[in-house]
Amino acid sequence: MGIMAFMQSMGTNGFPLIAAFFIGLMTALSPCPLATNITAIAYASKKIGDGKKTLWTGFVYTLGRMFTYVLLASLIVYVGVNVQAISLFLQKYGERILGPLLIFIGLVMFNVIKLPSLKSGERMDKLKEKLSEKGYFGAFLLGVLFALAFCPFSAVLFFGMLIPLALKFSDGILIPSVFALATGLPVIIFAFILTFSVSKLGKVMNKVQTFEKYMRYIIALVFVIIGIYYTWRVWI
Amino acid sequence: MNKKYLYAGIGIVILLLLIFTIPKYFTGNVTASGTEISGDIAKIEVYHFHATRQCYTCKTVGNYSEETINTYFANELKSGKLVYAHVNVDLPENKELVDKYEAKGSSLLIGVYGKDGSFSKQEDTAVWYKIDNESDFMNYLKGVIEQKFAGN
Repeated sequence: MGIMAFMQSMGTNGFPLIAAFFIGLMTALSPCPLATNITAIAYASKKIGDGKKTLWTGFVYTLGRMFTYVLLASLIVYVGVNVQAISLFLQKYGERILGPLLIFIGLVMFNVIKLPSLKSGERMDKLKEKLSEKGYFGAFLLGVLFALAFCPFSAVLFFGMLIPLALKFSDGILIPSVFALATGLPVIIFAFILTFSVSKLGKVMNKVQTFEKYMRYIIALVFVIIGIYYTWRVWI
Repeated sequence: MNKKYLYAGIGIVILLLLIFTIPKYFTGNVTASGTEISGDIAKIEVYHFHATRQCYTCKTVGNYSEETINTYFANELKSGKLVYAHVNVDLPENKELVDKYEAKGSSLLIGVYGKDGSFSKQEDTAVWYKIDNESDFMNYLKGVIEQKFAGN
């Protein structure tokens, strides 16, 4: 049995959570989400040498994706929002914003663009500091935004396969949650492998600090390159 | 102390969700979209819907479908019993068709008209799993269309 035949039999499994999981895996590995997931892997791996933190960052990113997918599915299943309208809208605009946004984030990380510091009191500043330092808020936001960027094929998987499943069992929460977990799973796994091997290499060469410094620029570069890729694909 | 309550709260929410949702999975009813066609078939339409910008997989589904129809249903195509077309969902002139079929983007939709004037449509998502093997794809789709002509 080929891999696609296997994915099909699992993706149409009678137990909807198993089906949702495998439709999610298909999504994670299809070209467009793969590009956003690579960006997320880079983001999650920015603190090398701290495997636990990388795992958490990947997990929080997945929670961000979950937020979007559950919101969309719930709007469709419980509120009755038109699937066709929401699908066509997101395919039209979601991807268009993504490219320029990624380039922007990359340039901020390169310090080319400096964000104006908001004068909003000490408490606000502390909160901002805490969030950006921990990076979890950023990871969550990336998850939310990346999940919104539907490409033609990921839209087929979500709106054509997962949503009918959610509608059939009138479940707008668990089914999309399991789907989201599967779309984020590669990020968690690969980010962990990446940080583990880079920090091992760094230890061998006694250069963890140097590696970490360059890591930031490499990640910024990944953001810019993938941003250019999206912008080129969608706009040109 | 605070964290403990938070974790307990999250745990309870997840547990409640599972308790109330899982049983639904075993009673879910299978519903086909549109009315069931009984009796003779007047016409079948096969449409490959797509956006202006197509992904590789989307193009493949369109090409393989067209080839299947041209290879196995040339006579039906000529007589008008079968209609096949690529439909761009972004073009305003296709809006009526897109709305009729409720196309949600790239998709292969099959519409069946009964002689009694009934109409039913069905999205075929299985084709997406068959793009790695053209002959499998063609055999599968041929079978689906033949079944529709047989009134099943």
